[in-house]
Amino acid sequence: MSLMEELRMNEENLLRTERLPHVWCPGCGIGIVLNAFLRAVMRRKIDPNKLVVVSGIGCTGRAAGYVNVDSFHTTHGRGIPFAVGIKFARPDLNVVVFSGDGDLFAIGGNHFVNAARRNHDLLIIAVNNFTYGMTGGQHGPTTPTGAYTTTTPYGNPDRPFNIPHLAISLGAPYVARWTTYHVNQLQNSIYKALGMKGFRVIEIISQCPTVYGRRNTMRTPLSMMEYFQKNSIIKNDASFEELEIKYKGRIVVGEFRNVQGIPTYEERYEDIIRRAQNES
Amino acid sequence: MTENKNFKRKATVKILEDRCKGCWYCVNYCPTKVLVVSEKLNAKGYHPPEFREDEEHVCIACHLCELYCPDFAIVVEELK
Ligand SMILES: Cc1ncc(C[n+]2csc(CCOP(=O)(O)OP(=O)(O)O)c2C)c(N)n1
Ligand code: SF4
Ligand code: SF4
Ligand code: SF4
Ligand SMILES: [Mg+2]
Repeated sequence: MSLMEELRMNEENLLRTERLPHVWCPGCGIGIVLNAFLRAVMRRKIDPNKLVVVSGIGCTGRAAGYVNVDSFHTTHGRGIPFAVGIKFARPDLNVVVFSGDGDLFAIGGNHFVNAARRNHDLLIIAVNNFTYGMTGGQHGPTTPTGAYTTTTPYGNPDRPFNIPHLAISLGAPYVARWTTYHVNQLQNSIYKALGMKGFRVIEIISQCPTVYGRRNTMRTPLSMMEYFQKNSIIKNDASFEELEIKYKGRIVVGEFRNVQGIPTYEERYEDIIRRAQNES
Repeated sequence: MTENKNFKRKATVKILEDRCKGCWYCVNYCPTKVLVVSEKLNAKGYHPPEFREDEEHVCIACHLCELYCPDFAIVVEELK
């Protein structure tokens, strides 16, 4: 059996297949990201008993319900604090937060910022579909300026977060961005990040044809995928301006930061415990 | 399937039809165009793709269709 065949076969064991077909709409990109994630986990040979997947609320948040490992579907925006707690209690586990842009950067934004600053040992898979998919397509913190959503019928006046730049500014040791068109690069990036320590952030630009695409002249799944295909360019040393996402503009993807050896919060905490015990 | 004896098969592609939601990523991104939209309807009312090879269109076992399928509905089985 080839490696690819083996991955596909074993992937069924990492899925709660009895719950399939999943809830995501036709062509929703979240399934592509989950597929890449599961394959990266298998290639890393991570023991499923040592993996925890934590999600917040949203369409992306439903991912926790489809993985056949210990998983938590937490309250809205609180995936990161839950994950921090799990990592504190069980430092031996690989803890992954798999959630959406609204969940991670609006209601959960403060958790993201502070967990990144402290370099908690977590992998963040951030599915950015530019909107609050689950609740019907309101604008959120990553909606491009000018985009049409249910709450911005004349175009979004806000400026979106520049997620890779935000993560880099907070010292995150691994920061990458891909789209769902980049199925191989995405899988390799997750594979790489799973082998590292610290607060690792992978942003995936994903399609929500149902409530975002339809209001922005990309009604079909394929038209959103074609937008990613035609407008993405790989540039690992991209500047702040290049990393900004403009409405219908180009999408700079790549691996923007990859630094080893920064002590994680958990390591520093262990060190403090050791020193305190020696003094007493 | 073709009757042509020179035609060397590399893989067979199984579609888990009940999982398919008819997005056509597989049909669109298959480099050799061996996946085509079928006439069939599944329980949810979507047209799953059909694996169809001929002399000009042969699966190269690249597995791209598996990677693009958002619904875990494709299994590529390589032939030895
Ligand atoms: C405390 C709280 N506030 C608001 C909501 C409503 N709500 C559910 S999902 C969601 C946004 C999800 O957006 P995102 O994280 O981008 O996920 P997507 O559905 O786009 O994958 C909101 C606001 C909620 N469930 N809980
Ligand atoms: S509403 Fe959008 S994000 Fe949610 S499942 Fe449908 S396509 Fe995906
Ligand atoms: S394995 Fe490659 S060539 Fe074969 S059906 Fe899938 S995408 Fe097409
Ligand atoms: S990619 Fe998957 S869900 Fe989409 S049409 Fe092909 S088999 Fe069906
Ligand atoms: Mg979203």
